[in-house]
Amino acid sequence: MSFQEQERALFDLLFDSIVRENFCKDSTAALHQYELNEDEQNDFNTIRPDALELDAKIRADLLLSHFCRSFPVSFSVLSSVDGGLDVLKSLVDVLTMRTASIERATLFGRRIGESLNGLSFNSADEQTKVSAILEVELGMVWTSATLKREVLDNGQLHIKSTQLDQSWSSKNIKLAPYVCAAMIPESYEKLKQSFCPDAECDLWRSLNKKPLAASRRKKILEKDDPRLFIARAHVSHMSQCEPTIDQKTAELSEGFASLFQHVNGTVSVDYILEQLKQIGAQDQMLQSIKATFKQLLESDMLEQV
Amino acid sequence: MSNHLEKLPTLGVGASLSLSSEPDPVSLVRAKGGPSFVEYSGLVDVDEVIDEVEKIRAAGAPVLFHPSYINFCGSYPNSNAWLEATSKHIESVGSSWFAQDVAYCFWEEGPGYSTQLGYFIPVIFNQHSLELAVERVKEVQAKVAVPVAIEPPPVAFIIGSMPLFSFFGSLANQTDCAILLDMGHLVSYEMASGRSVLEAIDDLPVERVIEVHIAGGRLKEGHKEGNKDGEAGPIYVDAHECEIVEQTWQMLEAMLPRLPNVKAVCYECEGVNESGVLATLKRIRKVVREKSNCEALVMTLDKEE
Repeated sequence: MSFQEQERALFDLLFDSIVRENFCKDSTAALHQYELNEDEQNDFNTIRPDALELDAKIRADLLLSHFCRSFPVSFSVLSSVDGGLDVLKSLVDVLTMRTASIERATLFGRRIGESLNGLSFNSADEQTKVSAILEVELGMVWTSATLKREVLDNGQLHIKSTQLDQSWSSKNIKLAPYVCAAMIPESYEKLKQSFCPDAECDLWRSLNKKPLAASRRKKILEKDDPRLFIARAHVSHMSQCEPTIDQKTAELSEGFASLFQHVNGTVSVDYILEQLKQIGAQDQMLQSIKATFKQLLESDMLEQV
Repeated sequence: MSNHLEKLPTLGVGASLSLSSEPDPVSLVRAKGGPSFVEYSGLVDVDEVIDEVEKIRAAGAPVLFHPSYINFCGSYPNSNAWLEATSKHIESVGSSWFAQDVAYCFWEEGPGYSTQLGYFIPVIFNQHSLELAVERVKEVQAKVAVPVAIEPPPVAFIIGSMPLFSFFGSLANQTDCAILLDMGHLVSYEMASGRSVLEAIDDLPVERVIEVHIAGGRLKEGHKEGNKDGEAGPIYVDAHECEIVEQTWQMLEAMLPRLPNVKAVCYECEGVNESGVLATLKRIRKVVREKSNCEALVMTLDKEE
């Protein structure tokens, strides 16, 4: 078992800053927690501490560059907050890195969420908006990971496309698998354009060089044009090794969010429309809502029960 | 040299490029003084890259596939699905052999690209690690029809006391595989270990070296603090977009006369502009003509220039 212990120590030295710091101070003491015989322990005497530190730093930077592609707006927002970049760097640790690679970005995103309370925003409203943006990015990461896992475990998925018949609106509906939906303060595309103007380049590198100004964050988030953001993960390239997952997205007006609360498999579109009619909704609005539900069903964002 | 290595074609002086980014491989192949072959590090699934590869081959250059997802060392075995996809990939693109760094590309659960760890995690240089590396290389050889070439990886620091060429010499002999030597990686080893590779050349079965790489890098200043013996020499960082450092050129000049069976010399130049690539290829050819001990390789230069 001791070679496995050497591997465990190597991994920890790269991703656990406390083990690394202790090792740089006193390598023998730091390696006591591993079941290594004297020869195996001596193998670590050849490590140059300054080179180990440099390796770990470059490695974390590359990993953050990778995570940044999944959470571009959240990363940009956090770069504008005091200590935000340090929080992101601190999350590339042994807990994140010991998580299976498919689920790693999801865990990373969840941990960003847990860290938000420790950061200082201009107002509670601003923090709520930042949380909502993260929630959307995390949702897409999570559904992508879930779908990828499903494909790798079970092979080709046979998701049947919805064929709507005449009675489609009378059938109960629910969110389709691998769909996430959440309210965001503005269109996600606009948020990306505002927060990540250099998205074509390595965003993490550019945020490190020039973090987003807090005043710019404030200005962008002051705009209030809430949207219901819906995304469905789908396989764009099938593979038994590395299936590629993309997201198909839609954005709806804020008013639709309250209707979405009922989309849980227990009611039909007709039922929802009837309820709206009873509280005085006009025909034109009802037709528009019905058409939107139809589009969501046809694009497999929703499914019939 | 093993019979299966002797029969390999001599490819000349080529370039390692990203398929979908600058510099454009096809344009380079067509340019006067361009690469005589193209090596690429691509996705495991061949259908993701085949269109780009076909364009390169149609322009007149053979290709070599250089994956970055195979564990050639350590306790974590490669997945059959990934090895089968590799075999299919290599066969489809006509790669005469394939090489990869002997390092960790994935850890514990789940195969994947080395980017999921930031980049390769370095191999441990000891006897137990060597035994596992033999197991890993044989595991790959059992699935892939063309010869495997093992490559010493870039290292910032060293774990284990077995010298580089003792480890790789023994691994190559035990598995009857070929060797790729990257000049920058050798420089990195010298800086990390304080050992000269040239002084240990007798430990390396030089007749197995079929490919040589040369690429840009950066030298980072080391820090005395915490280092044993107060060492503070530079640390080599592999960086293909950068200039080739002088120590790497010197390593090429010193190594070429000692390598009798080199089939391909590859300039890894992802991120370098076209004129820069052509100028460097010219210099590499000059060094090969002046220093190489391999007649067949030098003869290819007459056709290329």
